[in-house]
Amino acid sequence: MSQKLKQNNEQAALVIEPSREKTREAGVKTPSTTLEKLLFILSRYREASIAAVAVVLVVYFQIGSHGQFIETQFLGVVFRDTGRFGLIAVAEVMLMITAEIDLSVGSTFALAPYTMGLLSVTWGVPLPIGALVGVALCVLVGVINGVITVRFRVPSLITTVGTLFFVQGIVVSIYNSQPIMTPVEEPFNEFFGESLYNPRADALFSLHSLTAFSPVLWAILVVAVMSVVLNRTTFGLHTIATGSNPIGAREIGVRIDRIKVYNFMIAGGLAGFAGVINTLQFSSADPAAGAGFLNLEAIAAAVIGGTSLLGGSGTAVGALIGAFVVSTLNNGLVMIGAQATVSDIFLGAGILAAMMLNVQVDRLRTRRRI
Amino acid sequence: MNPQKIAPLGADAPTILEMRNISKSFGAVTALVDASITLQRGEVLALVGDNGAGKSTLIKILSGFHQPDGGVIILNGKEVLFASPRDARANGIETVYQDLALIGDLSIFHNMFLGREYHKRIFGLNLLDNAKMRDLAVKYLKTIEISIPSVNSTVDLLSGGQRQCVAVARSIYSSPTILVLDEPLAALGVREGGQVLGLIQKLRRQRDVSIILIVHNYNQVFEVCDRINFLHSGRIVLNASTDETSEEELIRIVKSGLGEQAMLDRALEAGSGRS
Repeated sequence: MSQKLKQNNEQAALVIEPSREKTREAGVKTPSTTLEKLLFILSRYREASIAAVAVVLVVYFQIGSHGQFIETQFLGVVFRDTGRFGLIAVAEVMLMITAEIDLSVGSTFALAPYTMGLLSVTWGVPLPIGALVGVALCVLVGVINGVITVRFRVPSLITTVGTLFFVQGIVVSIYNSQPIMTPVEEPFNEFFGESLYNPRADALFSLHSLTAFSPVLWAILVVAVMSVVLNRTTFGLHTIATGSNPIGAREIGVRIDRIKVYNFMIAGGLAGFAGVINTLQFSSADPAAGAGFLNLEAIAAAVIGGTSLLGGSGTAVGALIGAFVVSTLNNGLVMIGAQATVSDIFLGAGILAAMMLNVQVDRLRTRRRI
Repeated sequence: MNPQKIAPLGADAPTILEMRNISKSFGAVTALVDASITLQRGEVLALVGDNGAGKSTLIKILSGFHQPDGGVIILNGKEVLFASPRDARANGIETVYQDLALIGDLSIFHNMFLGREYHKRIFGLNLLDNAKMRDLAVKYLKTIEISIPSVNSTVDLLSGGQRQCVAVARSIYSSPTILVLDEPLAALGVREGGQVLGLIQKLRRQRDVSIILIVHNYNQVFEVCDRINFLHSGRIVLNASTDETSEEELIRIVKSGLGEQAMLDRALEAGSGRS
């Protein structure tokens, strides 16, 4: 037994020798081979790989469409979708980092503009105020999602499927699923999404041409804000901690339940905001605007952008690029003459490929300690 | 002689903690019976015992997780009652649990300052002062000589021993009076365990913080602690200072003190098992 003790002592003594320890313990290797360098870039900048994919897609569609892809009018459509998906995707990123998910964005997307339209046509409430009320209602849906998830311990996948149908049902039943024509109130409409661009009369770099991009500009602004929130604020730090190690985070004093509820509120609010932008573009509030696959497309954008469903990691910028990829696939394939239905095949394959790549990069990162 | 040898703690070192006649039951299960421990300033005390001996319950009472059924806790001469872990922490008692509570996806320096972040105002916004936290973490980890690759690397890239060291470093950063380490060597290989023991030894040499170590196996910690308390069935059956005794003697004392073959077996197992 004393033999063993001696061994232990030697071990203890060995450790205190710092120089020797350093060389043996160095966990971070400098990448040497090309593969390692590539993986290093991928693991450091998740956005880099998806940005490369986006560039390849644009080049492909530009050639396939004989130079019509990069053109203000068409890009306006792609960016409109990018803005819509991007706003929701970045909210999903925050939630997915906390290891939760929100499927009810499909109906909050319709709730906010429908509320805005309803208030406008029944009481003549100005659109900006109606929009605020609508977005506030969506934030309230977020509170409900959050409280049911953290208090009643219902998995958020189930909670938000419930509120998805519930809210959708309410919105649809109000006017027997009739869309509401909303008035145009300038500069509100122009500022938030109505495209005034006329390709024959307006120069590419003009105020009117800018309005063709206002949805995506709002999305870029929101993504920039959320990036700062995620990386430079206590809230962002605690959001990552909540998803990465909930028990540990709670022991340290992170209020994980509260963090989750806040993120559900952000998701509700951003989906409502995206819905308002969408409606202002056409001046029509469709009660079923978010039905179909909007929520899943936004989640796809987040996943393609490098956010893991397991919690703990994700990037806002990646979500925006992911949203661009999703809307480029949706619109670009149609543009080069493919059937509209074909784009789903590519989108599906894209999601699977992105997920496999994410998992692979993660595994290699931890194994090789890059 | 061994340069690692540390002078024994003087008898004049003030008593910092006394847990007197602590008892605790959970329903029909008696976890602690009149257990008393004392701790001097700067002392390293090992609580040794089998699974279910009551050592975890004892430290959970100290760290505010459980409240005792009977007995008193005297901290710095004052009787205290901890209603929650937050209470204990506010009174300078930091506990590193087995799960370490580290966030794998965050960098080492973010982990060190999680829950007590530094901020600076930029354009009226209250943003994290990452540069300051990074610098402080580098400086601090250097003073306690923990070797880690870089404070920027995420915790999930660290080895088990490095994680334990980071968790200990985070706990002592707030300069607690008492540091409780729950099974710091569990799930660590010999070399990695050595890393943790090295850190405990460093802290012991400075004699700033008093440490309570919970271990299964006292021969792992014999060299780094000043005193060993054996727990068995919720009672402290032995309180021995390591500079007056040897491992073999400990076994003898335990044997004669209890006169039970079962207890001897258990002590032998505790002494030479594992590793």
